[in-house]
Amino acid sequence: MARKDLLDIASLHREEIEFLLDQSTSFKQVFTCSVKKVPALEGKSVLMLFYEPSTRTHTSFEVAAKRLSAEVTNFNVAHSSVTKGESIRETVETLQAMRTDYIVVRHSRSGLPGMIARQTKASVINAGDGAHAHPTQALLDAFTIKEKFPDPRGKKVLIIGDILHSRVARSTSNLLQKLGVEVAYLGPGSLVPKYGPETIRRFTDYDAAMAWAPDVVYLLRVQMERQDVQFFPSLREYHRLYGITTERLEEIRQRGLYIMHPGPVNRGVELCDAVMDYERSLINNQVENGIAVRMAVLDWLTPGGESPRSEPTFGRSAAPLPHFTA
Amino acid sequence: MLLLQNARIASENSPTLLEGDVLIVEGKIQDVGNNLAIPEGARVIDARGRILMPAMFDAHVHFRAPGFENKETITTGSEAAINGGVTGVVMMPNTRPAIDSAAVVATVLESAERKSRIPVYTSGCVTKDRQGKELAEIDGMRALGVKMLTDDGDTTSDPAVLLRAMQYATEFGMFFASHCEVPELAGPRSLNEGVMSYRLGIKGSPACAEEIIIDRDIRLARAAGAHIHIQHVSSKLGMETIRWWKSRGDVKVTAEVAPHHLLFTDEHIGDYDTNYKMNPPLRTQADCDALLEGLKEGVFDLIATDHAPHTPFEKAQDFISAPNGITGLETALVSLYHFFVRPGKFGWDLVVKRYSAEPRRLMGLPVPTIEVGQPADCVLFDTEAETTFTKEFMKSKSQNTPFINQTLNGRVDMVILGTEILLER
Ligand SMILES: [Zn+2]
Repeated sequence: MARKDLLDIASLHREEIEFLLDQSTSFKQVFTCSVKKVPALEGKSVLMLFYEPSTRTHTSFEVAAKRLSAEVTNFNVAHSSVTKGESIRETVETLQAMRTDYIVVRHSRSGLPGMIARQTKASVINAGDGAHAHPTQALLDAFTIKEKFPDPRGKKVLIIGDILHSRVARSTSNLLQKLGVEVAYLGPGSLVPKYGPETIRRFTDYDAAMAWAPDVVYLLRVQMERQDVQFFPSLREYHRLYGITTERLEEIRQRGLYIMHPGPVNRGVELCDAVMDYERSLINNQVENGIAVRMAVLDWLTPGGESPRSEPTFGRSAAPLPHFTA
Repeated sequence: MLLLQNARIASENSPTLLEGDVLIVEGKIQDVGNNLAIPEGARVIDARGRILMPAMFDAHVHFRAPGFENKETITTGSEAAINGGVTGVVMMPNTRPAIDSAAVVATVLESAERKSRIPVYTSGCVTKDRQGKELAEIDGMRALGVKMLTDDGDTTSDPAVLLRAMQYATEFGMFFASHCEVPELAGPRSLNEGVMSYRLGIKGSPACAEEIIIDRDIRLARAAGAHIHIQHVSSKLGMETIRWWKSRGDVKVTAEVAPHHLLFTDEHIGDYDTNYKMNPPLRTQADCDALLEGLKEGVFDLIATDHAPHTPFEKAQDFISAPNGITGLETALVSLYHFFVRPGKFGWDLVVKRYSAEPRRLMGLPVPTIEVGQPADCVLFDTEAETTFTKEFMKSKSQNTPFINQTLNGRVDMVILGTEILLER
C-alpha cells in the first residue's frame, strides 16, 4: 500500500520498516560506490519547512533529496516567531500554490506535521515535532544498529537522558521494539515518565541499568535551553549521575558496548571527550546512515493522496467505550 | 391550550414513568390524568411513547458575551440551549470585560432579557478581572441577582484572597464555584498526564493538579463557613475527595460533573483531535467509571455541560495552540439518553434530578415538575427517534464537539416554557 506521509513510527507496519531498511542498504551502496546521484525523483520538488533550527537533519534531508535528483527549496521560517495554526495554514496554502511534491517539516509543536499533511496533497515527512516523533531518526538508528547486529532481536538498548521531552526516545524505542529489540530508559526521575510504555524498563540508577547488560548505550542530548525549568540541579550533577564519564567509558570499553547519540553532543555533559575517539562509538555512522535512510523514505512515499486522520479510538479500550450508531 | 396525550411522565422522585395525559392552559399544568377530556380549542398532541419531563437547567455555560461574540452570543447560546431541551442557564464570567461588577452584570442581564427566550442567569467573578488579586464588587452583583461567584477558567490561586472573599460574601448568602487546577502543575496544554500525553509528546496535566484544589477549596469553605460548589470534576480521586468531605457533614459542598467527563477518555484524543481538548482534561476509563458511580451515588449534585464554544478557525490549530472547551448544550440530553438511560445505566429520574431540579435548587430557583398547578416548563423527548448533529442542526455559533456529524438515539421534540412552545420538531 502506498503511503503519502511519514509522520510517526507508531503507524508503520513491521514489513514497511523492513522494506525501508533494506532500501536504505541499497541507497547506501549506491553512493559508496562513487555514483553520487540517481534519477528517482527527477523533476520532483522537496520543500524544507524548518520552524526549528537543525543543521544536521536539514542537511541530511537536503543531501538525500539531491542525490535522488529532486529540486530542493528552503522555506525560510526558522526565525519566524509566528508558529500558530493561523500562519501555518497560510503557509500551507502558499506551498500548495508552489506545487511541491514533498514537504519536510520540523516544528516544536507536537502533531503539527500531521495537521499540515491533512491540508496538502504533498507527501509530508515529519523531521521532528515537539516531543512527539522523529521517524527518520528512528530509522537511521535502527539501520545503524542493524549494521552491527544484522538480527537485532533480543539485543538490548539503553536510552539515557531526558526521555520526557525526547521525540528521539519515543520514535527510536518504538521502532526498536517493533524489531524485537529490548529497550530500557535511564535518567533522572523527573525526566523519565512513569507512565511510559510498560514494555520499556525504567531505570534511574546508572549501575542498575548497566546490570541489565545493554548492548548499546544511546545517549540523548540534554536540552540546555530547557534549564529554566529545573529537572535536575546542575549539569555537573547530571554528568556525574547519568553521563559517560571517563571511568564509565573504561567499563563500556571492557564490555564492548556500542555508543550512540543523535547529536549534536554536549561534551562534558552526556559524555566525556574520550567517547568521540572510542572505536565503538557509532555517532558518525548515524550521521552517514541518515542520508541513505532519508533517500529510502523519499523514494518510498507517494505524493498526491489524502492523509487520513486516524480513526477516533472509540472502542479501543478494554472497557466498552461509547460508540456511535452511525 | 395544549393537551399531550399518553405521554410517559418522568420525575426526579420516581424511577418508573407515569403514563398519562397532560393539559396545559395559559402556561400552567391544569390537569394530569388518564383519558382527559379534550377541551374546546385545545391543540392535541399524540405523545404516545414519548417522555415528558421537566426541562433541563444548565448551571455552567459560556455564552462568550461580552467580548467574544464571534464564538457565541446570548442569542445563539440560548437557542442552542433550547435546541438541547434546556430552559435556563447560568453563564460563566470569563468574558471581556469579565463579569466582575454591578455594571457589567446589569449590561449582561439586560441584553439577556432582550435576546433570549429563556431565563439567562450569570455568575460573577470572585476577583476583579479574574486576576486573583482584588475582590470583585461582590455586593453590587448580589443586588442584581448574582448568587454564585467563580473565577471559572482559572482557580483563584491565592488561598488568602479566596478565603477573604468567602468570609465576606457568605454573609450575603452567596456561594462559590471552583474551577480546580494548580496552574503550576497543570501547564497550559489540557491533556491528562498519562500514557496518552506520553505518546503524543505533550506535557500532561496530572489529576493531582485538580485534586489538590478540590481539597483546598473545600477546606477554605469550611474555615469560612461558606458553601462551595466544585465545578466539572474530572478525576476519580477528585470525586472521592468530595465524597469524603460530604460524608463529614461539616461543610456545605455541592459538585457537578460534565457529560464529556463521563463519556470520553484521553484515548479519544487519538490523533490530536482538538474537539477533545478541554479543561479539566479527559482522563482515563477508570476516572469515567468513578464519575458515573459518583453521579449515581449523589456525590455529584448536578450535571452541567461547561458549554464552551470556539470558532472552527481556533480549533483548527494544532493541539497545543487550540483553546480548551467543547460545546455541550445541544448534545447533553441526547447523549445522556443514548449512552446511559437507554443501556440502563441510570434512569430518567436521575436525569431529571441532576440536570433539571438540582441545578435550579442550587440557584435558589423554583423547580418545575409535571404536576397540577405547576408552571409549564417541560420537554417532550422521543426515545425512538435519532438526532444527527450536523452543522445545520446546531444553533450554537460554534460546533466544536466530538458529536459533530454523529448520530445518536433520542431526540428533543418539543420544548414548552409557559405559554410558549420554544421548539417543535
Ligand atoms: Zn472551568
